[in-house]
Amino acid sequence: MIENLLEFIVERGLSLGASFCETRYFEERINSIVVENGIAKAMSSGVLKGIGIRVIINGRWGFSSTNLMDKEEAEKALRDAISGAKSITAEAGEEAKIAAVKPSKDSVAHNMRIDPEEVDPEIKVRRVLELEKPVREFSDRVKDILVNYRDVITRVFVHNSFGTLVDETTPRTIVTCKVIAKEGDLMQSGYEVSGSIAGYELIEDMNPEDFSIRAARRAVSLLSAKAPPRGKFSVVVDPKVGGLFVHEAIGHNSEGDFVYSGQSIIANKVGQKIASDLVTVIDDPTMHGYGGFIYDHEGVRAKPHVIIKDGVLVGFLHSLETAAKLGGVPEGSARAQSHHYPPLVRMSNIYLTPRDMTLEEILEGINYGIYLSGSEYGYVETEKGQFTCKVEEAWLIERGELTEHLRDVAISSLILEALRNISAVGRDLRLEMPGMCGKSGQSMYVDGGAPHFRIDGIVVGGRR
Amino acid sequence: MININIDLYTPVERAMRALSELNVDFYDVVAVYSKSIEVSIFGRGIKEASSKVDVGLGVRAFKNKGLGVAYTQSLDESDVRETVKRAVKYAQVAQPDPYFKGIPGPSKAQKVPGLCDGEVIELTLEDASRISRNMIDACESIRRGGVYRGGFQAKHLMFHLSTSTGVDIDDEKTIVSAYIQPVYREDDDVGSSYEFDYGVRLSSIDPYIIGQKAAKKAIEQFGSKKIKSETLPLILLPEVSSTLFMSLLSALSGERAVKGRTFASNLLGKQVAPENLEIIDDGTIPRAVASSTYDGEGVPRRPVKVIEASVVLTFLHNSYSAGIMNVESTGHAVRDGYKGYVDAGPSNVRVKPGDSTLNEIIHETRKGILIVNASISPNIVSGELSTTVDEGFLIEGGEKSFPVKNLMVGGHILEILRGIDLVSKEGRVFGGGHFFPAIRIREAKISGE
Repeated sequence: MIENLLEFIVERGLSLGASFCETRYFEERINSIVVENGIAKAMSSGVLKGIGIRVIINGRWGFSSTNLMDKEEAEKALRDAISGAKSITAEAGEEAKIAAVKPSKDSVAHNMRIDPEEVDPEIKVRRVLELEKPVREFSDRVKDILVNYRDVITRVFVHNSFGTLVDETTPRTIVTCKVIAKEGDLMQSGYEVSGSIAGYELIEDMNPEDFSIRAARRAVSLLSAKAPPRGKFSVVVDPKVGGLFVHEAIGHNSEGDFVYSGQSIIANKVGQKIASDLVTVIDDPTMHGYGGFIYDHEGVRAKPHVIIKDGVLVGFLHSLETAAKLGGVPEGSARAQSHHYPPLVRMSNIYLTPRDMTLEEILEGINYGIYLSGSEYGYVETEKGQFTCKVEEAWLIERGELTEHLRDVAISSLILEALRNISAVGRDLRLEMPGMCGKSGQSMYVDGGAPHFRIDGIVVGGRR
Repeated sequence: MININIDLYTPVERAMRALSELNVDFYDVVAVYSKSIEVSIFGRGIKEASSKVDVGLGVRAFKNKGLGVAYTQSLDESDVRETVKRAVKYAQVAQPDPYFKGIPGPSKAQKVPGLCDGEVIELTLEDASRISRNMIDACESIRRGGVYRGGFQAKHLMFHLSTSTGVDIDDEKTIVSAYIQPVYREDDDVGSSYEFDYGVRLSSIDPYIIGQKAAKKAIEQFGSKKIKSETLPLILLPEVSSTLFMSLLSALSGERAVKGRTFASNLLGKQVAPENLEIIDDGTIPRAVASSTYDGEGVPRRPVKVIEASVVLTFLHNSYSAGIMNVESTGHAVRDGYKGYVDAGPSNVRVKPGDSTLNEIIHETRKGILIVNASISPNIVSGELSTTVDEGFLIEGGEKSFPVKNLMVGGHILEILRGIDLVSKEGRVFGGGHFFPAIRIREAKISGE
């Protein structure tokens, strides 16, 4: 029935003058549990569904969306998209172009061992409490334990006037734990997250030692951590901070929409050496990470994308539009938060490839620097080429050894300087940064990672 | 923007009727409809015109102090029935929250005027396109050859809330927002900035002024330089002081504040800044985006003095956090549309202006940093701050010297508040209700070269 509706809209769109018409059905079923200090005090269940329609008329984009799903409302939405495109026909601006692709026809569902919708909510609550309980006995300095569980099943069904008809269903499960520790007037928090493309099995396979206890240990130990020094330092980043760095510093700048619109610092640098020889960066939606998928939201089969190879910029991430404008090949990097948004160029699972050093070898030779661990958040100004990463904790490096524990540390740098200053890369690649990335008002599932690596000349926002 | 005649009453009533038969202790049902239009700017000009119809219904059910929430984007009878069932089932599984004391009953309130502008409801995509074009033209009038990001959006929202305690309210609002970020290049140098405005009424924003301001700010960023680490005074423009004050009020809001989970949890009755800091939160200001007659639980909005003579007088409560402290809700419940959960947070925040002009503050600063764009938002638990100056200038000899880059500020928010030594008499109104002056912080730790 959905297929019929999508086909009706595309046919109708073409008959009304669209040179390209795409319609996307989106459905998301979300269940969550909020646990606060041993009590599963709130549970939530949501169903989101609707359609988004994109057209090109007279070389301009029109988009509309609605949750109202009958044929009449869908046709109304189509007419809104068409009148949208017509409304800007006379205005100067970006011409709508798209790369022609061979149509895909497929229906795919990611594997999961246990469908979370089939699990009794009481069993879910018991399991979340099992993960949380050991923290209550961890330390008398633990003040609060907040655990959130969330399972989401997302269905995206894309049909366009090339004949693409792709239906993909993706389960994601994610659990977060925030522990607040207190001593006198001082409070610190520790945070852990585990998330993947998986069903309920994700939480069955977890153990508190690698999750909630880790968050508690961090919160308590940060109570005695010191404020960081300030200035420029050599830093060594762990796989989480490394993943955040790669995402902010390189990933966003390689997104084709920022490139063609003149808002990326690396827009005109393809084929140039922009990073040290040790830097190879890949965005890979086919990997098993939180940001993975089989087809993007334009119905294009996803492939791994090499962005930087041995320090040389080799490519960008593309949608149908950016491939047409930049002469690239669309390989599945366009996604939309829901039916209410048009697809944008997005990263998936982005990482720095491993080399051969151990952490000890990377630290060796740093007389005075900072080791950064755990990613909190980051952002980038792509046009200026400046990024910021906030980390969870840090240590001083003195004569190659980790010494004083530091808290509330953020780093900032100019991207092209930082890429050239990567001077050592480890062998221990891990992707463990499941989360959401915000761009142009849309939020999207992503993951990222890196092995340990060293960057010289990074500004640390210290307080002493 | 065509006004769709949507019926929010029937689905809410159906859900309320179904809930009344399901043996739960408290419940509420909210339905929200919105229609928005947008013309986006990207690259060399206007890129896309879009429209969106969003509708949804959310149910909160409480059983033995456990909360079940369910929401749907369909108002069909069967989906509404299913949503009610899911909320009730989850309420039965959720465990008793010892802090929960109930939900508010009905109260009469005087309607806040001017929250819905017919001109916004009547706007077409052609109108929106002209407004976006106007911003671009304004940028080009200052300097040609930029590339852009931004757009103009107009939204019309309708809301209906009904509760088992007798609350039955409607609300309606329009919001317009405009934003543009020009980027100019000279060889390897980049001049980039942004400007925005938003309001309830179309007449509350001037796209041409937004564009001109953005272009002028962008050009000023050419030639930015790195500077050395130092301890210097900071001057925060209203766009930046707003992030500091909003962080403080957020940390004084709701259960996170009363349960001792923020840096501000122990500030009640304490002085947080030099003598004259006064902050009022007022959700009743006519024609303001953050105003409403009732909060997200149906409690009337009212002006609340949060800080007077620099002393924190109160938290901002919804009924849950108020119940924990055995006080009345201050009318600060915040609902995430139809998606069920209710939080608490500030509405229109107004910081009392000071005695100096911004120019006087700059002239009185021998050396310091004027911050034009940054988020002075600390870790909400610890209050510690480590943030980048996204746009700023070095001040030397009481004058703007040059723009800075790759610079960070570190400190604790309470030190920063205690360090406020000058407050400007002029400031900026945001969304028709918030007011923030510029402020000077006596000294802060700057990280650079």
